[in-house]
Amino acid sequence: MPNPILSLRDVSLSLMAQAGPVDILRAISLDVAQGETIGLVGPSGSGKSSLLMLMAGLEHASGGQITAMGQDLTTMNEDALARFRRGNMGVVFQSFHLIPTMTALENVATPLELANVPDAFARAAAELQAVGLGERLRHYPSQLSGGEQQRVALARAAAPRPALFLADEPTGNLDSATGQTIMDLLFDLRDRHGATLVLVTHAPELAARCDRVLRMADGQIISDQRQTTPAPCHTEVSA
Amino acid sequence: MSLRQAARIASRELRGGLRDGLRGFRIFLACLALGVGAIAAVGSVRGAIEVGLADQGAVLLGGDAELEFTYRRASPDERQWMDGTATTVSEIYDLRAMIGTGSGDNAQNGLTQLKAVDAAYPLVGEVLLDPAIPLATALGPQNGLPGAVMDAVLIDRMGLRLGDSFRLARQEFRLSATLLREPDSAGAGFSLGPRTIVATSALEGSMLLQPGTLYETKYRLTLAAGTDLAVAETAAKARFDQAGVRWRDRRAGAPGVTRFVERMGAFLVLVGLAGLTVGGVGVSAAVRAYLERKTAVIATLKTLGADGRTIFLTYALQIGALSLLGVALGLAFGLIAPLMLAPLIESRLPIALDVAPHPAALAQAAVYGLLTAALFTLWPLMRTAGLRAATLYRAVHGSWKSGRPPFAAVLALAVVLTALLAAMAGFTGMPKLALSSAGGVAVALGALMLTALGLKRLARRLSTARLLRGRPALRLAVGSVAGPGQDAGAVILSLGLGLAVLAAVGQIDSNLRQSINRDLPDVAPAYFVVDIQQSQITDYLERLAANPAVSRVDSAPMLRGIITRINDRPATEVAGDHWVVRGDRGLTYADVMPKDTTLTAGQWWPTGYDGPPQISFAREEAEEISLTLGDRLTVNILGRDITATITSFREVDFSTAGIGFVMVMSPNALAGAPHSFISTIYTPPAAEAALLRDLAQTFPNITAIRVRDVIARVTEALGTLSAATRIAAAATLLTGFMVLIGAAAAGETARIYEAAILKTLGATRGQILQSLALRAAILGAAAGGVAVLTGAAEGWSVMFWVMQAPFRFDGLSAGLIIGGGVLATLLSGMAFAWRPLSTRPAGVLRHR
Repeated sequence: MPNPILSLRDVSLSLMAQAGPVDILRAISLDVAQGETIGLVGPSGSGKSSLLMLMAGLEHASGGQITAMGQDLTTMNEDALARFRRGNMGVVFQSFHLIPTMTALENVATPLELANVPDAFARAAAELQAVGLGERLRHYPSQLSGGEQQRVALARAAAPRPALFLADEPTGNLDSATGQTIMDLLFDLRDRHGATLVLVTHAPELAARCDRVLRMADGQIISDQRQTTPAPCHTEVSA
Repeated sequence: MSLRQAARIASRELRGGLRDGLRGFRIFLACLALGVGAIAAVGSVRGAIEVGLADQGAVLLGGDAELEFTYRRASPDERQWMDGTATTVSEIYDLRAMIGTGSGDNAQNGLTQLKAVDAAYPLVGEVLLDPAIPLATALGPQNGLPGAVMDAVLIDRMGLRLGDSFRLARQEFRLSATLLREPDSAGAGFSLGPRTIVATSALEGSMLLQPGTLYETKYRLTLAAGTDLAVAETAAKARFDQAGVRWRDRRAGAPGVTRFVERMGAFLVLVGLAGLTVGGVGVSAAVRAYLERKTAVIATLKTLGADGRTIFLTYALQIGALSLLGVALGLAFGLIAPLMLAPLIESRLPIALDVAPHPAALAQAAVYGLLTAALFTLWPLMRTAGLRAATLYRAVHGSWKSGRPPFAAVLALAVVLTALLAAMAGFTGMPKLALSSAGGVAVALGALMLTALGLKRLARRLSTARLLRGRPALRLAVGSVAGPGQDAGAVILSLGLGLAVLAAVGQIDSNLRQSINRDLPDVAPAYFVVDIQQSQITDYLERLAANPAVSRVDSAPMLRGIITRINDRPATEVAGDHWVVRGDRGLTYADVMPKDTTLTAGQWWPTGYDGPPQISFAREEAEEISLTLGDRLTVNILGRDITATITSFREVDFSTAGIGFVMVMSPNALAGAPHSFISTIYTPPAAEAALLRDLAQTFPNITAIRVRDVIARVTEALGTLSAATRIAAAATLLTGFMVLIGAAAAGETARIYEAAILKTLGATRGQILQSLALRAAILGAAAGGVAVLTGAAEGWSVMFWVMQAPFRFDGLSAGLIIGGGVLATLLSGMAFAWRPLSTRPAGVLRHR
């Protein structure tokens, strides 16, 4: 694959448990092309979320090499990784992970400020408007529903216009209707920004909307399936 | 469910907690233990001192009883009464005098508090000398000169060595020993000069004890065994009450020390209670955090059929048991601390300390501790009973919603608060001080809570303000102060109260020092001269008038008298404990109204007035004891009662250290009474020494008190008081710091989570650390800021209402307080910054 946006070579991850080291990921090699949407599927404990964390630089690989946008993540320290994520990566979690002490607007503005974007708050407000939360700018996470919190998280991830979206079961904590809306928003944001998307999901219908589906089991990729016609979006997002 | 069932559940839960090393309750226990420990320690030390004072009353007084006369000896009749009443009588003179060494330009003079004693002194106790020789030997003649013993400070100041001679007025003495300990020094009160003791017989040639000289004569009595002191006192008062004589006995050997210990003890207990209140904030936070952690357990118990009462009892029993543990730890500290402090305290006291446990002091501390624990834990405990199981399940991951307070909770809190206030009022024996202190603490807490609320609102506005945009670390810090579930309130409350006490002490101390050290020397005289004989006054004034270095001299006749009756009623019955009727007061007479006198009411007597005695009284003091024109005052002077009518009131300014008398009488009232003159001399500091040499050589019997020395003594006394208060405030601050540590520890998980998200969004560890430090600094500065404002308000009110002096804001003290607040929060915050910075985000985010 010429100039992959993300490339993993023989990546492994071992974590220390009480009984000793546990191999979470084993010899993962993978190239992700610019603009591609990838669905990571597999049973619980297969290593999907861990692989996503490695891609985001939130976890340090025990072995192998991870290159994102030409940068070797495995040689970077914690601060270098944090700086790299600014503007390059947008991460969305199943548990939303909004900063509870900040309003929706502040949550979305934070990555922009960290990236020294001059009009951070105006852009954050526009992003929230785009996900239908224009009336909820001053609300704290505890004052928002689960679906609203995930929309804030989406806006936060999208605000710096990252080249790479990483989403870890973003609908896992939501009811199916809300989950559907969130997924529509996620794909819509990806389409609008032309970003690459890696999506961890249990839902086959979500994976079916991706260009490529990677199936994992026991810390390894056991299949890599390219889809000729990804499933279309089901709903239009309205503010 | 019964209490037994609740106790069973409670014990199982506590067992789990103990297995966990009482995690989450360490701050609870520390806060309670420190507060109770401080109060128990103060109470125990006070108890030990009081027992010592009571046991050694006779030693401190110098006999079983004492009769004190103001500048006169007892008449033969009076002495006869004493000899008939007591088995032994000892006569002592106490006066201020000047000692001198050298001659001409090498002459040196120093102020001393002179004690002249007879052969019977001391009736009780022992005078310790270096070398260890008997007092009688030390005071006996050596090489033709009478002996004297002197305090080491004065020996050093005068450059004397044992065997050297020195002058007291016209009499030469030989220094025979250093005075190490005077058994009856505690009863002597405040003195300006270090002590010198000589034999009374040796003073006869000195010209010091002349008519009109300001001295006191004390007759110490040894009473027969079994004498009822109360009966003896009644008999003495019947015999001497009209003669201006004061009675004291061994039941209160050193009333000044007793009063000081009593007041200081009560004051320190009140400061300790302020510390306990701060600890209460930590106790309350720990209990709330514990109950929130137990939400699922409570919900499960409710699901299984436990009613609200059972839930309340289950957790009340647990918290009660832990409170008892905290109080027990505090009492243990209160027992140990006095033992460790005893040598230090003893070195500053005239008595040995009885450091045995004082059950009353410990019981009081325990009551304070338990009531405070109840006050701060009842509210969260009672909320558990009122919550529905479903609500609890929904609230597992959030904070409990505050609902309307149940009536029972409000009632219970009111009862506990009333009991605490009653305990404070009863135990301290000073209900007014106790209640006003409680009010002060309540106001300060209210101000701090309002500040916390205001700060959160301000931070909320600021967090989205343009000013902070592009400064992510600062905005994150401000945002985290503003956000829900933040500990801004706990931090400001816990730190603010201790800092407010320190700020108040700082402002008052600096204002008093400024007034005394900076302002007073500008207006005060250089010397206050006493004991100028009537035969010397003309020469004295002429000599000073001829001295070009002297810019001003004031003088006035000086007598001392005790106001015994007001309108024929006992003075203390009318004026209570007012200082004007307590002990003897200086008074003067004048024919013509002195210049610069401002009459506020009435008229001055005509020149050459020869009618019934009249008196002009100080306006402010007259108002304080409700005197009006026409009132009759009876003043006992030299054992003679003089009754005069008040015909005018005057303004008297005591703040300039010049001559100021509360009472001025018409001259005929005091005609013939032996008296001396006092004088004030104004001269530049450079001319002081030469002037003193000249005066001491020309008028050897006079006593010149250097005002700068007095200022230094007062400043030193103030320094000791403010140091004691600062130590007490530091205990409050230490408790506050522990609460801060508790708040920081409780917030660590939240900080770790925030840091993980921020790292995900691109924040470096430096930025996160910066934001944590800024957040701590903002909270510390806010606590310090409000403490400075409260302290300045208290300082202003003390200066304005009590000292009646202008208030100047002390920026340095304020800066130190704010800096201290910032430092304390930074230290506590940074102590818990390591884990948020070092934890990898993936692990945190995966498990939430």
